Formats: sequence, C-alpha cells, structure tokens
Amino acid sequence: MTDVCTDSAVEVRGLTRTFGVRKALDKVDFDLPRGAFLSVFGPNGAGKTTLVRILTTLSAPSKGTVKVCGLDVVEQSDKLRSKIGLISHNPLLYPDLTAEENLQFFADMYGVENPAQRARELLIAVELDHRRLDTVRTFSRGMLQRLSIARALLHRPEMLFLDEPYSGLDPHAMDILDNLIAQVRHDHTFVMISHDLDKGLELCSHALILARGKVVLSAPKEEIDVDDFKQTYRSTVGMGVA
Amino acid sequence: MADEILRRTPPAERTKVPGLSLRQYKAILRKDIVMELRTKEMVTSMGLYSLLTMVVYQIALSQSGSAFDPRTIAGGLLWLAFIFTSMLGLNRSLVHEKDQGCLEALLLSPVDRPVIYFAKASGNLIFLLIVETLTIPVFALMFLQQGGYGGSWWMIPLVLFAGSVGIAGVGTLLATMSVNTSGKDFVLTVLMVPLMYPLLLAAVSATSAAVLGGDGSISQFWSGIAGVAGYDAIMVLAAYALYEFVIGA
Repeated sequence: MTDVCTDSAVEVRGLTRTFGVRKALDKVDFDLPRGAFLSVFGPNGAGKTTLVRILTTLSAPSKGTVKVCGLDVVEQSDKLRSKIGLISHNPLLYPDLTAEENLQFFADMYGVENPAQRARELLIAVELDHRRLDTVRTFSRGMLQRLSIARALLHRPEMLFLDEPYSGLDPHAMDILDNLIAQVRHDHTFVMISHDLDKGLELCSHALILARGKVVLSAPKEEIDVDDFKQTYRSTVGMGVA
Repeated sequence: MADEILRRTPPAERTKVPGLSLRQYKAILRKDIVMELRTKEMVTSMGLYSLLTMVVYQIALSQSGSAFDPRTIAGGLLWLAFIFTSMLGLNRSLVHEKDQGCLEALLLSPVDRPVIYFAKASGNLIFLLIVETLTIPVFALMFLQQGGYGGSWWMIPLVLFAGSVGIAGVGTLLATMSVNTSGKDFVLTVLMVPLMYPLLLAAVSATSAAVLGGDGSISQFWSGIAGVAGYDAIMVLAAYALYEFVIGA
C-alpha cells in the first residue's frame, strides 16, 4: 500500500463503533478529497468526537474500514501518526513544563530534526516566544490554544484535526486562531468538529452533519443551501444521544 | 509568519528516523524527572508516607518487650512499607498524563507503546529507589540498633534494586490499567497485592537473610534474589507484551 496521500485524504466505509450495546457511530460512509476542509456538525452525543478519535488512531472501529492519507487507521496506525496533528479544546500540553520544554518534548516524540530550533521558530510563529520559559500552567486559554497549534504543526503534518478549537476563546484569541488556520489552510487537509454553524460553514469546503451516530448530510459546500443546511442541523439537535 | 515554518512535509521527504525509540524513551524519562523536580509531588508524598509507616511500626512494636528481636520481621516490615508507598507514586505517574489529555497527545505520536512502558517504569523505579534510600537509614536507626546488621553491606541495595524493578515494572502496567477506572486507588491495590505476592515472598526472604546474617544466610539470600529476578524477568516481559493492548483500551 502506498505511503503517499492519495486523492482521498479520508475514506470511511461502513464505520460502526459500539460501546456495549450503544452505537456511537452507525454505518458511517464518506470521502474527503485531499486539501479539503471538512466541518463536522452535530448535537452533543452525535458521535463527532468518536469519529475524530477513530480518524486519529486513538480509538479503533468496531466494524468497517477507515483510511486517512491512504493508510488504514488500524493496520498502519504507526505510519499514519506521523502525518496527522490534532488541535483539541483540551490543549494536550504538560502544565508543569515550559512552552519550550513542551514543544521540544513533542519534537523528540516525532523525531523532528533540530528540536530546539524547530520549537523556537514555532514559538515565534505563534507569538509566544516571549513566554517560552514560562510553565504552561500560567498561560491563558488563548495562549494555550496557540501553543497547542504549534505542538500540532511541529512535525509538519499533512492533515490537521480540530476538535472544537474555538471553544472557550475570547474574540482576540479567535482572530489569532483564524489567522493561523488561514496561513496553513492551502497546504493541509482539515477535519474540524464545531458547534458554531457560521464559523464552521465559513471555513469549510465540505460539511457533514452527524446525529445519533449516523450521517444525516454530507456534501461539498457549493452544493449546500445555507438556510436548508441550518434547518437540517436544527432538526438534529433534539434527536438525542446515539 | 513565514510559510516555510508552517508548511507540511511532502510525503516523499518523510523518512524513518534512526534511533527514534531511544530518543523517545529518553524524552519521556527526562520529562517525568523534570516535572518531578519541579512539583516534587511523587517523591514527597511517597517519602512522607514511608517515614510515617516507620513511625507506626515503632509504635506497634513498642510494647513487644526487650526479648523480641525486630530484625526477625525486618524484611516483612520493609517490603510492606515499600509496596504501599509505591502505589501512591504509581497512581500519580499516570494521573499526570491523563489529567490534561497528555496521554492522548503521547498516543498520537508515532511512539511504540512499549517505549512508553519502559520510560514510565524507569521513572517510577528511580523515584521508588530515592524513597527507599531515604527510608533505609531511618529503618536501621529504629529497628536494627539492638541486634545490628548481620549480612554484607551490598546485600540490602541488591535486594532493594531487584525488588523495586518488579514493583515498578508490574506497577506501571497496573497503574495504566487502573487510570481509566473511577476507583483508581482501589483498583490498583486490589490488582497489585495479589500479583506481587511471589515477589514479596522472595524479597522478604532475601532481606531477612541480609539483615540477620549467620549460617546459611548467603544461600537463603541468593535463593531469594533468584526468585525476585525470575519474577522480574517473567512479569516485565508479560507487561511489555500486554502494554500496547492496555494503554490503547
């Protein structure tokens, strides 16, 4: 199997994930072309986070096949991990390490060349160089999210997963995050979970609505009528947990 | 912001990094040590617990009379203290990772799961050995003054190291299993004590031989060490084989 990203960045076929008798994802199918930006919407408990956990190899499917960058998420998870990055509402950083130590640690984990230099240039890029020697515990939510972006980009991934990245950010921090996403947008494939319909639709090239573990709607943005889309989304909100 | 800094690596430029596992092992171990030096959470809580246990032992034995030689139960007392002390540290070592989602960040990276196991176990071993080193002089002062130390000086460090390898090795696996459960401390204790039984038996035997000395103590000591070493080899190999499944569960 090729190690290079094919035209499809994500191929999901018959994906089912069960927890006991509950189906968090139920026969999910979709494709995402390389270079696309997919926004995934859905009410709480729809299965969005489970989907991203499977796409990022953190969880295994119960049934079905999932390929990301042409690599099977179960069989080729080791190779895949070096090609993806995750930015979550949870910063995934060690609070008792400094910003620089955090980035150097993860640079070592990904086998990045010159970890000190790479960490420094990313700290400058996310405008945190002046706080590089401060422990992450002292950072504001916006600063944590910027550092989280730097962590996700350390190993120059081909694909980025964003799990509610705007959650808890003030408008200024949102602008900085927008700016960072805009700068890497042309060069990466994105999958973003969002509860913010306007923000998600503004950024995406493709949109998907999940409800009770099933795909309710999946389409490229140009085929979407925004009012119909919002109406469909609102109709899923009362559908409850998968 | 320079585009070059944020650009992705073209697939053709991605190559396997030689020696990555060793680099990852050292990074995780260094990170654990730096965090411990900064917070002092594990060693402080383990050290205090261990020293307080010694005080409790002294109170418990204070009415035993001058005819009773505490050296006869010294091995049991020491390992009882160390096994419960280790549980405090073992739980904390994984809770650190879990709390801020750092375990997920670690699992997202292309690291072989056994590398995480060996690095975490090595860190736990180092912290446990530090606490044991602090505890032994206090123990000797409290319980070995009357009868003295019967064996050679190297016997205690050897059995402590061998026994601690087993505790850290098995304990790291069990702490990983229990970190996702609601009653972490309870689950770790319930799993750990029965699994440690053979190790404790051999370690207590070797420690008693070292403390008491006398005829036959050398053979009893080596027999105990052989038991501890056998346990270490089997259980650490089993933990290594199971860790990928356990950490991914």
